Amino acid sequence: MKRNVAIVGGGQTYHRARRHDVDQAEMVNEAVRAALKDAGMTMDEMDMVVLGNMEFFEGTHMTDCWLVHATGAYGRQGLKITTGGTVGATVVCAGAHLVASGLCDRVLCIGFEKQEEGDTGAILSGVANPLWGRSMAGAAVGYFAMMGSSYMAAWGAKEEHSAMVAVKARQNARKNKYAHLKLDITVEDVLNSRMLAWPIRMLDMCPASNGACAVILADDKTAKDRCRKPVWIRAMETAHNEQFELDWRDVKTKRPIFSKVCAGRIYGRLGVSDPKTYFDVFEIYEPATWAELVWYEDLGLCGPGEGFRLIEEGKTNIDGPIPVNPSGGVLSTNCIGASAMLRVWEAALQIRGDAGGHQVPKEVRRALTTAYGGTNWTVMIALSGALDD
Amino acid sequence: MTARETEWISIPMTVDVPYRFAAGRYLTKTLTQLRDNGRIFAVECPRCRRIQLPPRIVCAQCHVRNGRWVELPLEGTLVAFTIMFLPLTDPTTGKPHEPPFVYGSVRLDGCDSVLDHLIHAEPDRGKVWVGMRCRVVLRPPGERVGDLSDIVHFEPLPDQSRPGS
Repeated sequence: MKRNVAIVGGGQTYHRARRHDVDQAEMVNEAVRAALKDAGMTMDEMDMVVLGNMEFFEGTHMTDCWLVHATGAYGRQGLKITTGGTVGATVVCAGAHLVASGLCDRVLCIGFEKQEEGDTGAILSGVANPLWGRSMAGAAVGYFAMMGSSYMAAWGAKEEHSAMVAVKARQNARKNKYAHLKLDITVEDVLNSRMLAWPIRMLDMCPASNGACAVILADDKTAKDRCRKPVWIRAMETAHNEQFELDWRDVKTKRPIFSKVCAGRIYGRLGVSDPKTYFDVFEIYEPATWAELVWYEDLGLCGPGEGFRLIEEGKTNIDGPIPVNPSGGVLSTNCIGASAMLRVWEAALQIRGDAGGHQVPKEVRRALTTAYGGTNWTVMIALSGALDD
Repeated sequence: MTARETEWISIPMTVDVPYRFAAGRYLTKTLTQLRDNGRIFAVECPRCRRIQLPPRIVCAQCHVRNGRWVELPLEGTLVAFTIMFLPLTDPTTGKPHEPPFVYGSVRLDGCDSVLDHLIHAEPDRGKVWVGMRCRVVLRPPGERVGDLSDIVHFEPLPDQSRPGS
């Protein structure tokens, strides 16, 4: 990068299924205030505001206009981004571009979703071609169910393995005061939960959450002068798949899987040969249990078809050698426009040692975060606590 | 923490958005062939030879114009599926698909893309599997409308059994 970029502060709301007590602006402002407070900065110091959410998920368009008072964008440069599930990460990438290029020294990045206000299934159906597949569109659960059936057929994994992912996520969430689904559940509870779309049960899926996240990005000088524990953005990658190409759920497809492509590129930039030892923690985007198992493999934490062994052996537990989603992840909190940014912010908290109850019990120097949306569009961001690390 | 709800105004409403969608020249060709002749046409990229359905003017991977039309057979292989237990709303009609039902992703023979559609199989894990051979069932001629619903569903080919059963 032309100039170094640091995360110098951040914040999030308490994520909940119901927030009738606030409108979208009031909710977004909770995260903005938390981020400014964490950074010890004021709105006057921000050069620009970048905002993102899912298009029309709240039944309103131009949320950058609606929320201008709450985001702090009044009278300053602003940018609105919508890239589906990846949006929270894309907002951070855009902010990092602004700082790295020298156009801005301090950028406030915000992602939010107030899921209860819209019918996400109905709105998501607009992603599909009305003449070619829309009649079956609108439910992410079906996509991930197909991934699960393909994964089991290819590798011999069982429904118990996805259930283990569900348990890990919700047990981690119990340690995270901001998480939405804090459930003291067992593998049996997951297997006994209501079948939604075989092999996916209720507890295999993420919730629909209301919430927001904000992070403040800054240049070298600001970070060194103003921030006790800056976390550095070391590399970013984005790879887009083609819309209507749905075979990424076929785990044996010969077509490129963009999570894998993206990982290969970001490892190349950083000179990573063994990601599971290079990174100390992973915050990944797993709206369903099966997606986490596939991520393990796409990220190269194990070989193809070995993801379910990692969870079986407890390798990715909060106190395991490869901690994945100590925050509880998307499976425990999914305010979609904020979800990918929460991965970045949670990873930064881990590096700072400020994650509180869900801090992983080892030194955290480096972290990798992922996001995806649409048909396997992927964004990844790598962070470290020291610039020379 | 979130405040306790006392009296918060929160009003349910519906947004109805009429619009007209242009299929364009490539998809129109495939849809008219499907409607009028019950045949399925995809396009092939002149560079990577990838056979793409729905057809697109440009190959996303090579960024060259797709030119050659390829007729696909009406049979293929199920590469992934689910048994749906939720009454999913069909966004094109506003009515639910009645659960449980099977839907899945079928790769028509020779095609590089997959097609998601209803699978006319019993919603029973013993009766449907990855690798199952299926064929297209079309609406009768004269009742076709020129969109993907002209394919009613895929049905399993006879005389096959689940591997290992």
